[in-house]
Amino acid sequence: MNVLIVEDERSMALEMEAFLKKAFYLCDLAYSARQAKELLENHPYNFILLDLGLPDGDGLEVLKQAKKICPDASYIILTARGDLDDRIKGLDLGADDYLAKPFSLLELQSRMQAIARRKSGLNDAVVSLEGFSVDLSRRLVFFDKEEIELSRKEFDLLSYMLLHKNRPLTRLQLSEHIWGAFSEDDYDSNYIDVHIKNIRKKMTPHAPVEWLQTIRGIGYKIKI
Amino acid sequence: MKLLSKLTLYITLSKTVIVILFIVLLPGLVKDVAFRYTNYSLEEQKKKVIDVINKNGIDYYFQGDSSYGSYTMLKEEYISLDRSGSNAPADTIETSRRIVENDTLTYRVLSHVFIYGNKKYVLEIGKTIAAISQYNRPLQKVALYVLTGLIVFTLLVDLIFTRLLLRPLGVIIGTKLLNRKFPFKEELPAVNTSTTDFRFLDDSLIGLMSKIREAFEKEREFTSNASHELMTPIGILQNKMENLLDNDLPEALQEKVMTMMHTLGRLKKIVRSLLLISQIENDQFAKSPAVNIGLLVEEVVKDLEDRFEARGIRVKVDIEKDAAIHNVNRDLLFQLVYNLVNNAVRYNKENGEVLIGGQYKPDASYILQIKDSGIGIPGKDIAGIFDRFKKSTRTGEESYGLGLSIVKSIALYHNWEIKVVSEPGIGTIFSIVF
Repeated sequence: MNVLIVEDERSMALEMEAFLKKAFYLCDLAYSARQAKELLENHPYNFILLDLGLPDGDGLEVLKQAKKICPDASYIILTARGDLDDRIKGLDLGADDYLAKPFSLLELQSRMQAIARRKSGLNDAVVSLEGFSVDLSRRLVFFDKEEIELSRKEFDLLSYMLLHKNRPLTRLQLSEHIWGAFSEDDYDSNYIDVHIKNIRKKMTPHAPVEWLQTIRGIGYKIKI
Repeated sequence: MKLLSKLTLYITLSKTVIVILFIVLLPGLVKDVAFRYTNYSLEEQKKKVIDVINKNGIDYYFQGDSSYGSYTMLKEEYISLDRSGSNAPADTIETSRRIVENDTLTYRVLSHVFIYGNKKYVLEIGKTIAAISQYNRPLQKVALYVLTGLIVFTLLVDLIFTRLLLRPLGVIIGTKLLNRKFPFKEELPAVNTSTTDFRFLDDSLIGLMSKIREAFEKEREFTSNASHELMTPIGILQNKMENLLDNDLPEALQEKVMTMMHTLGRLKKIVRSLLLISQIENDQFAKSPAVNIGLLVEEVVKDLEDRFEARGIRVKVDIEKDAAIHNVNRDLLFQLVYNLVNNAVRYNKENGEVLIGGQYKPDASYILQIKDSGIGIPGKDIAGIFDRFKKSTRTGEESYGLGLSIVKSIALYHNWEIKVVSEPGIGTIFSIVF
């Protein structure tokens, strides 16, 4: 997967690059609209992550042009601008998703994966997890063909942790993923504990779930 | 009362007073003038008579008699000459009765004592009062008509002129002040007037409004800049920590980084909430014509259903299918309902109850009520619950106290009314009147 990161804030662009590289994405960086245009004209990309607040041009204008040059790529808009209209305009112009800064790199990867899954059809969306299988497209969990019924939020949590397996996740990160901008404070992340408890309760009868680890009072991770 | 009405009233009243005064004073005035003029003409006549006597000699009139008298046929005027005694009075002009040929008439009489040839004489010249005042009434009438005509004319002119004069003020009030909405976005042209006071008023208003507009634009710009300037470093920090946190990191360090992330997350949420509030207050949300409130509440409940389940809280929704809120930003309405319902769960008892009901009121406004069976709010705290950073002491949990300020900002932005009724230990009812 080739990714073009268009972001004028260099250290942020570098962090994104570092993170995505670990997830086996190949990244190019553009710090300005001009650079982005040059790269777009010479390389094919699967993903274009576009900051709307560029120093040398309106991000939405860049999106319009990029869409012409590279119509098959998936676009995610990144913006710190307060204007909510940007989201609507961006999606109208054909962006696939929108992330408000500051965003979590984990969330970014999760969105990219969701877009890729959506665009590639239903194949290979089943991930196995220590005897369980998680069907990300149909949002189902099985153990030996037997379905385990998880609630919507429980499934969201499990698949998010699975995507970021072997990585500790704070309750805040998890609650942000589930409730988005509406998540308000610690109160919300307490519900993460409730959900994890339920996931364990529902899965344990089938097989041990030692892979779902608690990190003392701070968060959780799936270790496999 | 409007200035124009006041002036109209004043002008009309003052002119009426003038007319009344004139009507009251006119008879006396005319009479006075007539008497003065009579006095004057009697004096003139006296001078002529004396001149004639000096020319012709007094005997020419007496012709051996002791007195002389002359009057017109209708006895309107008379002249008499008499030889006077030693105690003759001084010169006078007075109104008194005289008998002329058996007729008693009231005259204005001038008496003059003079010495001619070592003898004293009394000259009397008289004019009847009837003759003197014969023109009084017609004069008064004419004067009254003329005055009334003039007054009516000036009244009309005054009123028309006042109206013209005050028109710029009306235009200023009508265009610059009435029905204008903060922050006075559209720039209006100056009102055309030659009156310097109005010119000054209009210029000041234009100046003030453009200052407000500028300040507002600056705040908007600040909000936008602040969001960028604050969010970007927060984002960089967050991403750096996320990159730091992978499995290669020793567990003790992992924990530290996660604690840091937690604190950063708090910062992020506070900044985000403050920005949301300032964006709402800056009027940066477009409104859509109608939002189905039933569907919206359903969506909120679905989003929070796991919380209801986790605490065994029953939720009942009673909203008509077609109920709609008009002229509203859907995202903001969602946020408002979400925050209130979330609080209703949060401050509820285990196995409690949340009732969400909506109904139209007789005046066609819509009222949405969210009622919980929770711990309630003490009366003295109710007033402060919408303040920013007012931390709830209701539960032991940490809270930034921005949820309800966001609710309040959203309600204010849409001109909705929020009512809170609460009883500690029984529950709280939040009502939004749309």
